[in-house]
Amino acid sequence: MTADYAIETLGLTKSFSRGWRGKPFLAVDGISLRVERGTTFGLLGPNGAGKTTFVKMLLSSAHPTSGMAKVFGEDTKLRRARQRIGYLPENHRFPTYMTGIGMLDFYGALSGMDGATRRRRIPELLEKVGLAQWGGTRLGKYSKGMLQRVGLAQALIHEPELLVLDEPSDGVDPVGRRQIRDILEELEHKGVTIFLNSHLLAEVETFCRDVAIIQSGKVALEGKISDLTAGSGYRVEAEGIPERLETDLRAVAKSFSNVNGTAGVLFDDRDQANHAVDLLRREGCTIEKFGRVNSSLEEIFIRTVSGK
Amino acid sequence: MANRAALQTRALVVDTFREASARKIIWGFFGCSTVLILFFLLIVKIDVVQGAIATMTIFGKTGQTQDVNRAVRGAHAGIAALLYGFGMLLAILASAGLIPTIFEPGRIELLLSKPIERWHILLGRYLGNLLVIALNIFYPVLTLWIIFGVKTGVWTAGFLWGSILTLFMFAVYLSVILLVGVVWESAVVATMITFGMIILSLIVFNKTMIERLLSSEWSRDIVRGLYYLLPKVIDIGQILGKIVQEQPVESWMPVWSTALFGMACLGGGLWLFQRRNF
Repeated sequence: MTADYAIETLGLTKSFSRGWRGKPFLAVDGISLRVERGTTFGLLGPNGAGKTTFVKMLLSSAHPTSGMAKVFGEDTKLRRARQRIGYLPENHRFPTYMTGIGMLDFYGALSGMDGATRRRRIPELLEKVGLAQWGGTRLGKYSKGMLQRVGLAQALIHEPELLVLDEPSDGVDPVGRRQIRDILEELEHKGVTIFLNSHLLAEVETFCRDVAIIQSGKVALEGKISDLTAGSGYRVEAEGIPERLETDLRAVAKSFSNVNGTAGVLFDDRDQANHAVDLLRREGCTIEKFGRVNSSLEEIFIRTVSGK
Repeated sequence: MANRAALQTRALVVDTFREASARKIIWGFFGCSTVLILFFLLIVKIDVVQGAIATMTIFGKTGQTQDVNRAVRGAHAGIAALLYGFGMLLAILASAGLIPTIFEPGRIELLLSKPIERWHILLGRYLGNLLVIALNIFYPVLTLWIIFGVKTGVWTAGFLWGSILTLFMFAVYLSVILLVGVVWESAVVATMITFGMIILSLIVFNKTMIERLLSSEWSRDIVRGLYYLLPKVIDIGQILGKIVQEQPVESWMPVWSTALFGMACLGGGLWLFQRRNF
């Protein structure tokens, strides 16, 4: 293991026992993952796949049963490793008796920042997340979106090199969502590694460069989003397909859909698609569209988790 | 490094004060203390003539002349007993939630992700809680000590030492709250177990009488074992009375055995917290 990676796990495993003498349940099953420095990494998976447990082990709130997790080459159990991480949990519960400023001051102090640095940094961050006017208000009066934004400010208070975000856009309106994305893009340009755990596939697809899909505690798919979504097939759209031809096409196509009389047929390779176009022309069908299509991350995700 | 640890400890202590202040019960404690102070400041009128109380007037009724030292020590003992009993009850109720709340999902993960050791988080919270209650104990004790001193000229230190023993007893109960909090993460369970333990220790205080009622030797051993194991609420209350009245204490066993119990609970709580998954 080297410090070349922002996150590096080796055979990371977590099992829980169900009740007394219960059969152990593997929440995370030997995950080995490498996240390059300065990248934007998305972690995806269906509910109960083990994403949250994986993140908890990265942040040392859960202890691995076996394997190890390192951040910039250092074991995450070590305090100095966590010094370089900023974290926004999914269902965070910030104390409602605190004001925005008080909360940032508290977590800043826990991160080892001295008073002068905190006093300089807090107004900057509140301005950045669009809460400059709300710093003195108790968190109990904040909306969900405002809590999300002040939570992001909390994660950034000590200028971390790695940002771990669990559903950062949850409950945030479109304007706030855009604001968060702008902040994250700015951080990406500064070389901060961003690790995003989100169920919003479009968000991951738009923002992340690398992705891993976890299923049943294991990495089911991993790679660059651009590679995974490239060259997935050829799509033909046509009208007026006779029933007999439709049956023939369904037999060879990867997928077949029919919306308001327009059929969409997806083929694995170009030759199959060209042959289908010949058949359609011969039958006098109208070709609406023909071309290469990339898979969306959603398609890849569904294919991966459903095993089809 | 030490500076950093101090910074983090201070943040945890200040946060505990903020949370305690947000809970109304702490202000109730403060209010009760203030009423007691005002009672002795405004209602009780004491005239001292040559080392003896010439008159002591409460609500317009004048009491008998007596030895001023004895009267002040008696008043000190009464106030100390009130703080040790009723004050302790309020302190436990006020504190029971302060430690378990940090284990709330969404809060604990964030705390643990910070560059601070787990034991440091828990001890910081424990210290903050202890200081909140120390303030609530020393505020009436010091103020009343000054009021009595100014009014009577008697400045006995026993009353002050006694308040430290009250705080010690609370520190032991807080260790129990901490241990229960780590295991069950519930303020209600922490309160119930702490009060249950106090009741049990009150019962086993009468071990001699209970032993007479028991037929088997093993059941008598259990009662004796529980007596030595649990905090000795009544014994320490008696020691407190002696300290306040500046009388000699025959045995410190109840204090050190209770201290051992508290340290075991605190150590156990820290040990479990280090190993827990959140």
